[in-house]
Amino acid sequence: MTRKTTIAALLAAGTALAPAMVPAQAADPAAEVDYSGTLTILTKFGMQRLQPYFTDLAAQYEEMHPDVSIELIQEDDDSIKGKTSTLVASNSIPDIFFSWTGTWGGNFVRGNRAADLTAVIGPDTDWGRTFAPAAVDAFVYNGRNYGIPLYLDAKFMGYSKPIFDAAGVGVPATFGELLSACDAIKAAGYLPVSFGNKEPWAGLHYLGQLLAYNVPRDVLEADFDPATATYDDPGYAAALEQFAAFEDRCTIGPDVNGVSYQTAIQQLSDGKSAMYYQEIIEFDSAARPDTALTADQFGFFALPAPADAAGDPMALEGAPEGYMISSASDNIPLAIDFMKFATSPGHARTLSAPPYGQPSAVVGGGDPETMNPSVVAGLDDIAEASYLVPWLDTVNHPRVAAAWLSEFQGFAGGTSSAEDVMEAVRKAAASVAN
Amino acid sequence: MARSSSLQFDGAAPAGSAVPELRLPRLAEQLLSWRWVALAVLIVGWFVYYPIIDNFRVSTTTQDIFTGEVQHVGLENYARLAGDPVVLTALFNNLAYAVLSIVFQVFGAFVLASIIEDIASHRMRNLWRAIYFIPSAISTTVTGLLFYFIYQPDIGILDGLLTAAGLGGWSRAWLGDQSTAIYAVIAMSQWQGFGYSTLLFTIAIQKIPRDLYDAARMDGAGPLRQLWSVTLPMTREMTGMMIIVTITGAFQVFNEVMVMTSGGPNNSSQVLGTWLYQMGFSQNEMGYAAAIGSLIFAVTMACGLAQLWHTRRRRVAA
Repeated sequence: MTRKTTIAALLAAGTALAPAMVPAQAADPAAEVDYSGTLTILTKFGMQRLQPYFTDLAAQYEEMHPDVSIELIQEDDDSIKGKTSTLVASNSIPDIFFSWTGTWGGNFVRGNRAADLTAVIGPDTDWGRTFAPAAVDAFVYNGRNYGIPLYLDAKFMGYSKPIFDAAGVGVPATFGELLSACDAIKAAGYLPVSFGNKEPWAGLHYLGQLLAYNVPRDVLEADFDPATATYDDPGYAAALEQFAAFEDRCTIGPDVNGVSYQTAIQQLSDGKSAMYYQEIIEFDSAARPDTALTADQFGFFALPAPADAAGDPMALEGAPEGYMISSASDNIPLAIDFMKFATSPGHARTLSAPPYGQPSAVVGGGDPETMNPSVVAGLDDIAEASYLVPWLDTVNHPRVAAAWLSEFQGFAGGTSSAEDVMEAVRKAAASVAN
Repeated sequence: MARSSSLQFDGAAPAGSAVPELRLPRLAEQLLSWRWVALAVLIVGWFVYYPIIDNFRVSTTTQDIFTGEVQHVGLENYARLAGDPVVLTALFNNLAYAVLSIVFQVFGAFVLASIIEDIASHRMRNLWRAIYFIPSAISTTVTGLLFYFIYQPDIGILDGLLTAAGLGGWSRAWLGDQSTAIYAVIAMSQWQGFGYSTLLFTIAIQKIPRDLYDAARMDGAGPLRQLWSVTLPMTREMTGMMIIVTITGAFQVFNEVMVMTSGGPNNSSQVLGTWLYQMGFSQNEMGYAAAIGSLIFAVTMACGLAQLWHTRRRRVAA
């Protein structure tokens, strides 16, 4: 696309498309399914490794129902937000679309863009009972169900057992031990933690977990809401200080802003770094049969909590991720039927096993015999977590999230201080509240 | 075609003519002539002028793309624009983009085109033109990825070369350092656009009559003198146009920044186009994004008017 057409497209999108009328829900979700027509689906499985999952599902569903045609739009982590916003702004939201929990999903509910699915997935419904209750509850807004959880996600520190052995370090139990382990690994000639913060959400994931450890849950949740946010808890400064120490002793330092997260995970896979902070859904891509780090050499642990932290040391950063159905869809029952098909036990097990490795939100949706043992163990840790703290960039208002993202990137790059970060976040929250 | 009653006689019929000549009234004639351009006017009006006008309307509102709620806020978004530090950064970056692009893609390309056109062998001239043009044929996404690897800290080619040359102290995360990120993006853009500008200048140089060079040589002018006294004046129109097109392009830049830094780190490499995108599609502030769009329009419009003024002035001078 040329520069002129890009700007013209941006202008056009920002003008003619923006004042869109919000449609009312078109059909009863519990109505009889009409197996005809076209279903459009926006997925977050755009990565080459994940793409076949929905492609295969669509092909199978079309074969079962010859009058149904499925059009897939497959995006990845980086592009999904922009794509979704563009589709919403142009009133072209697909029948089924990916959503995070928290404020991001709340946007669709607030704008009546998501179909109310309480009648089919709510408490005491046949379909609803097939999911882990916490996963279904994560998509409840105003007491109603709006989302279908597909898989569970949480953040862990993946590590290379051979490098840990070479450096003579064990799994750290506290944040202080982690820093000491980094020193030992560095002395052994390895990069302790590969960290790419070119995409600033990667760094924010560290901070989210540290905030859960340092800031009491009720304070944190009050601060997620701009109307009640104060951001004056000393835990924020403590978490930023801990991150600075971690960056200094465990990573390449402020240069992390020039490295992409994909390069960083590749460094772990190639055996060049000892650790990489990753989502459970990335376990299968970090250690594969064709990488230097194999699945049996891969280990993981939750980012250790600092001693005497004022928050919840059993909290874990993560959330289920799932799909919503457009309230404007011409065929809501058909869209629901497709998602029932996608979350059936057989497909759930396929999703949980390699090469996808996305632990299904369906009860019994993972077969330990076919799954990566690390993913199975990670699911146990998720189940034991006292609190799943959501991602900072999806739980916050977009303006507050943007302040976190940009200013924390500056903090990681050594150009912003902890005070700068908190001031920017406070200012953004205040501007939203007003 | 049947003649309607609205048609009128225009004076007396010519001598010897059996049928008097009929002519439409002047206004009707003018209106009828519009039918040939009506479709084009409609298309241009709908796809170019309507979005511009509507963009201004949207810029006087706040809009929530999820709820469709619209609030009229007058010129509030423009006041916010004036106080937004990221807009200032973006304007500076766009300006830096323009200045460096003029240096490399206009004057650098002009010098290179002159050197290439001075090569005696036709085959070698074609070869060099092709070599310099190839980067322009590569997509920005691919080029962005290529330069990401070049710029990577520690393991990137650039840092490797600097270290090998004993300049390891200069190595850094070029895209991750707030002081270098935008310049790293601009450098990539020059690499990509340089060949295209060179090709345009070679075409302009080829149109210069050879007699002028022969005459200059007979007067004792060397290659530099010929470049200054013959090539430069004879390609002045192309140079002027290239400067204006380059400035306009620099204020519309989007893809290069989006692919390489997305405006980071900490908004240090934002340009107006990427800030507009982030405001509209990441932060759900479509009204403010439209105000940024108006600013881009004002700057590029000024460049367009300068181009028109320059072209007219040249015609008058000729």
